[in-house]
Amino acid sequence: MKILVAVKRVIDFNVKVRVKADRSGVETANVKMSMNPFDEIAVEEAVRLKEKGVAAEVIAVSMGPQSCQETIRTALALGADRGIHVNTDIELQPLAVAKLLASIIKREQPSLAILGKQAIDDDCNQTGQMLAGLLGWAQGTFISKLAIEGAEAEITREVDGGLEVLRLNLPAVLTTDLRLNEPRYATLPNIMKAKKKPIETLSPADLGVDASPRLSTLKVDEPPKRQGGKMVQSTAELVEKLRSEAKVI
Amino acid sequence: MNNDAINPGKVVLLRDARDALADAETLLAAAKAAVTAAVTRDGAIAGDLLDRHQFAAHGYAWMATYVAALGRMLSWAVRLDESGRLAEIETLMLQAAFGEYLAQLEGGIAMSQGEIVRPAEIGLDDATLRAFRTAAVSGLIARGNTDSVRMRLSELLTQTMESGHFGDPGLDDETLDMMRDQFRRFTAEQVTPFAHEWHRRDELIPMSVIDQMAEFGTFGLTVPENFGGLGLGKAAMCVVTEELSRAYIGVGSLGTRSEIAAELIRMGGTDAQKHHWLPRISSGAVLPTAVFTEPNTGSDLGSLRTRAVRDGAVYRITGAKTWITHAARADLMTLLVRTDPNEPGYKGLSMLLAEKPRGTEGNPFPAEGMSGGEIKVLGYRGMKEYEIGFDGFTVPVEALLGGVEGQGFKQLMATFESARIQTAARAVGVSQNALELGLTYARDRIQFGKAIRHFPRVYGKLAWMAVETMIARQLTLFAAAEKDSDRRCDIEAGMAKLLAARTAWSNADNALQIHGGNGYAEEYQISRVICDARILNIFEGAAEIQAQVVARGLLSRRN
Repeated sequence: MKILVAVKRVIDFNVKVRVKADRSGVETANVKMSMNPFDEIAVEEAVRLKEKGVAAEVIAVSMGPQSCQETIRTALALGADRGIHVNTDIELQPLAVAKLLASIIKREQPSLAILGKQAIDDDCNQTGQMLAGLLGWAQGTFISKLAIEGAEAEITREVDGGLEVLRLNLPAVLTTDLRLNEPRYATLPNIMKAKKKPIETLSPADLGVDASPRLSTLKVDEPPKRQGGKMVQSTAELVEKLRSEAKVI
Repeated sequence: MNNDAINPGKVVLLRDARDALADAETLLAAAKAAVTAAVTRDGAIAGDLLDRHQFAAHGYAWMATYVAALGRMLSWAVRLDESGRLAEIETLMLQAAFGEYLAQLEGGIAMSQGEIVRPAEIGLDDATLRAFRTAAVSGLIARGNTDSVRMRLSELLTQTMESGHFGDPGLDDETLDMMRDQFRRFTAEQVTPFAHEWHRRDELIPMSVIDQMAEFGTFGLTVPENFGGLGLGKAAMCVVTEELSRAYIGVGSLGTRSEIAAELIRMGGTDAQKHHWLPRISSGAVLPTAVFTEPNTGSDLGSLRTRAVRDGAVYRITGAKTWITHAARADLMTLLVRTDPNEPGYKGLSMLLAEKPRGTEGNPFPAEGMSGGEIKVLGYRGMKEYEIGFDGFTVPVEALLGGVEGQGFKQLMATFESARIQTAARAVGVSQNALELGLTYARDRIQFGKAIRHFPRVYGKLAWMAVETMIARQLTLFAAAEKDSDRRCDIEAGMAKLLAARTAWSNADNALQIHGGNGYAEEYQISRVICDARILNIFEGAAEIQAQVVARGLLSRRN
């Protein structure tokens, strides 16, 4: 079977994100970019299934500007077989990404699509669910364990208060949680091999999708600066200030 | 922060830097003429005169290193600018580098602490120095490395340090960037959290770490693909070495031994030797060690005394070796011996590829005719240092590198460029480590009501550490690129090693100073880094030898 994994290029998790001066978004010029950590977990899981002989091919898909090819290349170095890059400079929102992925999935016919549960830049946590809806496929979100048994997948989900075990029919859309696995390093031999693996480039038009944004960002602000605290001398003074200044009691 | 930190603006800065570089080259040419006149007799460089005027000659080598370094910084900045990546950090680094090094070219260069070589000692007169003081040079000296530049630079570095951004290294190669990222992740998880304890307990780097590095392809990095390596260039070697050494010099130095052995065999070995050893070295199955130095033979290899006497199908080895890194755990010695006692100089030397069993702590050298013990050292631990005595140790004659006696010195010399480039990259990694430890401490340590990084004497140190690390990195990457283009680069490699080693030491010293008393406590990592940094000025060509090599090379190079 084929597995499709979606990999998003995001600001590296170590970077202290800064808001652009015009408050239209966050600064990405000359900022270190990396693969979304949840997507690394998705790639790792797919590659493990291939190594176990469950999957025959792993396809890594990324969307966005030309530089997304670097993210695909990383997925290839981690063990994916080939890449698809949907090249566009427009801002892609979850619904557009889900539509583009659905269109690719119709062409490629994978049995499984594995996505990160969310991207660490916008934290939307929507794409996987939308994709399952568009395809009419089963969905398993926030998975921390996966076993493929014939045409079914048994998954463990991390939910409030515990773990939920579900059995899904394939094909299915899965989204990964942090504890699913620990992604491997891309070794130098595999980085070199990845250079020879193919990446196909498509446009949203090739896929018949109108990817234009449906939402517009009004403004982006820095979190408010923390105010300095005040020291009080006695409980009585504290109560007085909570009443008169903070007005919370 | 006001804008005069990045005054006079990028375009003007690049233009001034270009002009000032030309002025520095003119000054250097005058220095070359002066030193040449002092050390030449009958139209050739005389060894005794070169020794007599060593201070001036080495001063000239340092001047040349500075001019080359500025050339690399400018070329780096121009490349970044062309692809829209010359941001504020890089601009400030360029500016500070020019300001500082131009001022030192005019005023004196510290070859080491306490050894400042001034232009007059190199034979440059006042008129030459006045001519050097063009508008571009004067402007950059006045505005290049100022307090406001250092303040802004350290501010920016504090903002971006968590993401590992200390200025764009300008690798311009997606694959190298990816390698750097992967090694960074590997060291952050597998090396950095443990290195300090390995050092403090004076332990060998665990085999599990070496195995992972082997799987990563570390040991076959530059070995050709048909011999089981990755066939990558020296630039890749620099990137990997810097990242590993940034975590721990011991880890970054594991590859040095493989690099030297593989280079010796690749260039000097017979086909059978290549087919036998290179795949094993590449996979990490065989750990090599370099066995060259003797108690009375350091920099002067021509006086080497360990004897190899042919006895039927074997050589019998007798003699003493010392400063053999990783000797006990190594499987293969590249062993430099004298095969011809009638030839007292370089020509009597041969290189043997001598197998040995792995030793243990209790019995480091469990081989017939071989004994030895550990030399306890301040730093550069993790592989341990040994002295070894050979008394009838036998090596099969097939182990003679290249199958012909008397080639040992020449074979070894052919590897020096690579070994020095690799060592320069190790020094850049250690410099970077020291910088990051200093930045972190200065950000977190509060005194007099504020983080100490806000004091000019603290941020000034940090800013210059970052600038000089970038200078050393660019010079090292340039030497690597020259090597990859198959151009002779002994001078470039020597310059890179010379400057990077000084930078590692001054960065470690300054970072420790920023730590105050805590830096002197063994508990803090900087106490290890300063011990590790100190070796870089000594091994792989001591700073004085390196300056000699650079000076001699430049003086005999025709224009």
